[in-house]
Amino acid sequence: MATYQEFIQQNEDRDGVRFSWNLWPSSRLEATRLVVPVSCLFTPLKERPDLPPVQYEPVLCSRANCKAVLNPLCQVDYRAKIWACNFCFQRNPFPPSYAGISDVNQPAELMPQFSTIEYIVQRSPPNPLIFLYVVDTCLEEEDLQALKESLQMSLSLLPPNALVGLITFGRMVQVHELSCEGIAKSYVFRGTKELSSKQIQEMLGLTNPSASGPQGRPAAPQDPAVTCRFLQPVHKVDMNLTDLLGELQRDPWPVPQGKRPLRSTGIALSIAVGLLEGTFPNTGARVMMFMGGPPTQGPGMVVGDELKTPIRSWHDITKDNARHLKKATKYYDALANRAAVNGHSIDIYACALDQTGLLEMKCLSNLTGGHIAMGDSFNTSLFKQTFQRVFSKDHNGEFRMAFGGTLEVKASRELKVSGAIGPCVSLNTKGPCISENEVGVGGTTQWKICSLSPSTTLALYFEVVNQHNAPIPQGGRGAVQFVTQYQHSNTQRRIRVTTVARNWADAQSQIQHIESSFDQEASAVIMARLGVFRAESEEGPDVLRWLDRQLIRLCQKFGQFNKDDPTSFKLSETLSLYPQFMFHLRRSPFLQVFNNSPDECSYYRHHFVRQDLTQSLIMIQPILYSYSFHGPPEPVLLDSGSILPDRILLMDTFFQLVIYHGETIAQWRKAGYQEQPEYENFKHLLVAPVDDAQEILQTRFPMPRYIDTEHGGSQARFLLSKVNPSQTHNNLYSWGQETGAPILTDDVSLQVFMDHLKKLAVSSAA
Amino acid sequence: MEAKDLYIKPGNQERGWNDPPQFSYGLQTAAQGAPKRTPLNKRVPPPQLTGSPCPVPGDFPSLTAPMTPPTNPLAPPCSMNTPPRPCPVAAPPLGGVMATPPPPFPVVEHTDSASSQSENEPDVDDVVTLLNWALTACRHTVKKQVCNDVAKRLKLFEDMWKSGKLSLPVRRRMSGLVQELKSCNWDAADEIHRALIVDHVNEVGQWMVGVKRLIAETRNLNPDLLHTQEVDQSLDTSSAGNSD
Repeated sequence: MATYQEFIQQNEDRDGVRFSWNLWPSSRLEATRLVVPVSCLFTPLKERPDLPPVQYEPVLCSRANCKAVLNPLCQVDYRAKIWACNFCFQRNPFPPSYAGISDVNQPAELMPQFSTIEYIVQRSPPNPLIFLYVVDTCLEEEDLQALKESLQMSLSLLPPNALVGLITFGRMVQVHELSCEGIAKSYVFRGTKELSSKQIQEMLGLTNPSASGPQGRPAAPQDPAVTCRFLQPVHKVDMNLTDLLGELQRDPWPVPQGKRPLRSTGIALSIAVGLLEGTFPNTGARVMMFMGGPPTQGPGMVVGDELKTPIRSWHDITKDNARHLKKATKYYDALANRAAVNGHSIDIYACALDQTGLLEMKCLSNLTGGHIAMGDSFNTSLFKQTFQRVFSKDHNGEFRMAFGGTLEVKASRELKVSGAIGPCVSLNTKGPCISENEVGVGGTTQWKICSLSPSTTLALYFEVVNQHNAPIPQGGRGAVQFVTQYQHSNTQRRIRVTTVARNWADAQSQIQHIESSFDQEASAVIMARLGVFRAESEEGPDVLRWLDRQLIRLCQKFGQFNKDDPTSFKLSETLSLYPQFMFHLRRSPFLQVFNNSPDECSYYRHHFVRQDLTQSLIMIQPILYSYSFHGPPEPVLLDSGSILPDRILLMDTFFQLVIYHGETIAQWRKAGYQEQPEYENFKHLLVAPVDDAQEILQTRFPMPRYIDTEHGGSQARFLLSKVNPSQTHNNLYSWGQETGAPILTDDVSLQVFMDHLKKLAVSSAA
Repeated sequence: MEAKDLYIKPGNQERGWNDPPQFSYGLQTAAQGAPKRTPLNKRVPPPQLTGSPCPVPGDFPSLTAPMTPPTNPLAPPCSMNTPPRPCPVAAPPLGGVMATPPPPFPVVEHTDSASSQSENEPDVDDVVTLLNWALTACRHTVKKQVCNDVAKRLKLFEDMWKSGKLSLPVRRRMSGLVQELKSCNWDAADEIHRALIVDHVNEVGQWMVGVKRLIAETRNLNPDLLHTQEVDQSLDTSSAGNSD
């Protein structure tokens, strides 16, 4: 419905929230019957250029197990200077500084337009940001040179007061001392010997023997910037570090024929995590690891050094033939958890033609909010620009990256929190709002997100706990509050508070209204994240069956049909796109491992469970626009029937941008008509999708691949594998349509899928 | 940022399949926060659910004048090896509807040529003199080692320029940078250094950090130091080797 569309969009623009349902069923039983749970996508640091932060501390509810933040939903008695918490109904006095408030002089946090508000709080001296580079030296010369240059360049992009450090690794691991003068020193570690955090700190001389700290632990240094020789301010060491980087050599150990280089990635990371743990616990820090191949020695090795033993494939994994998988995954998981506990994030930049072990190492980034970039070589625009964009700045000239985030969710007593799916870890806080049914990272109402960007989005799942037939309060609304604390890139500590409410509705009498409040886009992404989460631990076919079952149930609940008559089946507009989303999701690389390596799947899933709604939808069902002489560019069905000779198609899958020239267009292009002045409009037609693609290429993180192809081109397969194969070699003559290009596949088409769906939804036997 | 600093180069197709094009620093920073011209975010619902007939995209009437031999997908690969003659029927429609208006800024194919073009060739000595002016001012308060390190890199920069190893865009932009330095526009100078190191890291990587440090140190100086007699003298002389 038009009004709900606007409502949904306004709320997303203001609060960064999209709920699956915008009218909530007032009983638990009815909520489960809706199939899609009451849940939302939440972007904690959504860019709000129009929202100036306020320079005071938030006012909290005084009840010990509540502590909700004062918000526009609270009842206020301006005369008595008292406010009532809308979550626990506790009456709280305003602090003395609020003595002057009145209903014509409201503090910002009470005004409805400030449902999202940001506070700057400065409780302790600001800590500098820390960037620790961990660099693989087992690279080809050309790659190493390109990587060195990118790292040198990045020194100019870092905030000047940031601390920077360098660890290089190959067969051995070297921790470089970044003193300002004299000869450069480094500490060398064997790449095979696992060391405890304490041992690492001792060997690096970071423990102070006369410290009065607790037994066995290093005392926090008084001025870490001075005492830690390995992490120094950029503005002091930039020249030396530039030289040091420039002089880096390839790993000197010779690699015999038929062997892989010995890469001690596991130990290198363990030293990086241990170094930060010992010197800067609980401060924003980024470990940035650059690797050109898989770990081949020491703990965390993913494959041996014999080239004749290939790195594990899906086939190996299903046959339980992946020797190192469990052990390596467990090793990196432990490291990831340690880093997360300290608020440190780990980025992985993997550039190689073969797999590098992202399957085993993905938790390092997934649990800490770090990035994963995957490319073919460090000497590519894809890597260079993706890396540059890590340091991108917002309209205020400040870095977009944020650190040390914690998210707390509070809800009205009719709701409980089941869990979250996204780049976070649980803080294991107990409270009254926690549901026993865990979904994703559950059992808590607080999560830690060590590194955030303005697009980082979590999916949060709720459970309605009102009993069936319990009376709904007149005009009653349920409320949810999201409190995000984080360290801004300018080192300020900030708290962003978003408080939202939705009306309760009785599902028995108001099912039409509830249906019209359905957000099919948000629901598709929310269910997809659930599916991907399950796919990490369950068998692939089970996940697909689960997804199908949910879709059938949803269609049974909301479809309009006559029993056992599939042709009568209709869905209202609010649900019309949902089955198509599910169809494409089933075929997507997130749930289909066929045709993608384990590393590729890990990479795609990593980005899928953290992006905002618009980008996530693009990943599920790529956007397809058609350019022709017949009118302005228009969206077309992601269907083989959209592939026509006189059209240019632009497809955005998020990871790839494909420009496909139809057969006729390709012939004209080849003939060079665009060079002739009389055919200038043809030149414009060719340029139009390129310009639109460019707009996307200029800002997207990570940088997508760019494919310019045409009818019959080998790269056309990127388009052909995504479109619905309504016309295949199987049904060429049975399908009435003569247009479009047939796809050689045995995949089920959307039509067949929909026919099955309709049949099952209307069946009285279901 | 001049228009010619906003450019796009093709990606490295040899090292990365389907490597995307590379945008200059200027283009990337300009794009941040700018609203999209044509947001591509619409989708089309499948007809089976909305009850409309057979899916034919756009539902356009077929063109009455065949533009080329019928592109029947069922037929074997097009045997049309010779392209159609350029007549209104066989070729793209003349003066037809423009698909989208031309791009708002010129997308220039960057030619990285070291040869001088028709504009004024920046003078190396002018640039070096200004850099040394700043460095001399710094020597009062900044540590000797740091100043020497900066001087070393400025020398390298000068040598590279004089031996023709720096391309015109780099020379031109360095000339711009020192002008900003002279006018005490520290942020502008800093931005130019950043743009240079992003766009031309292979040319400037070894010495640019010296310029970066020079800007950082000079901006922190007491403004009087920038105009002591000694400093002004160094501006008058055109000697290149001013370092100790």
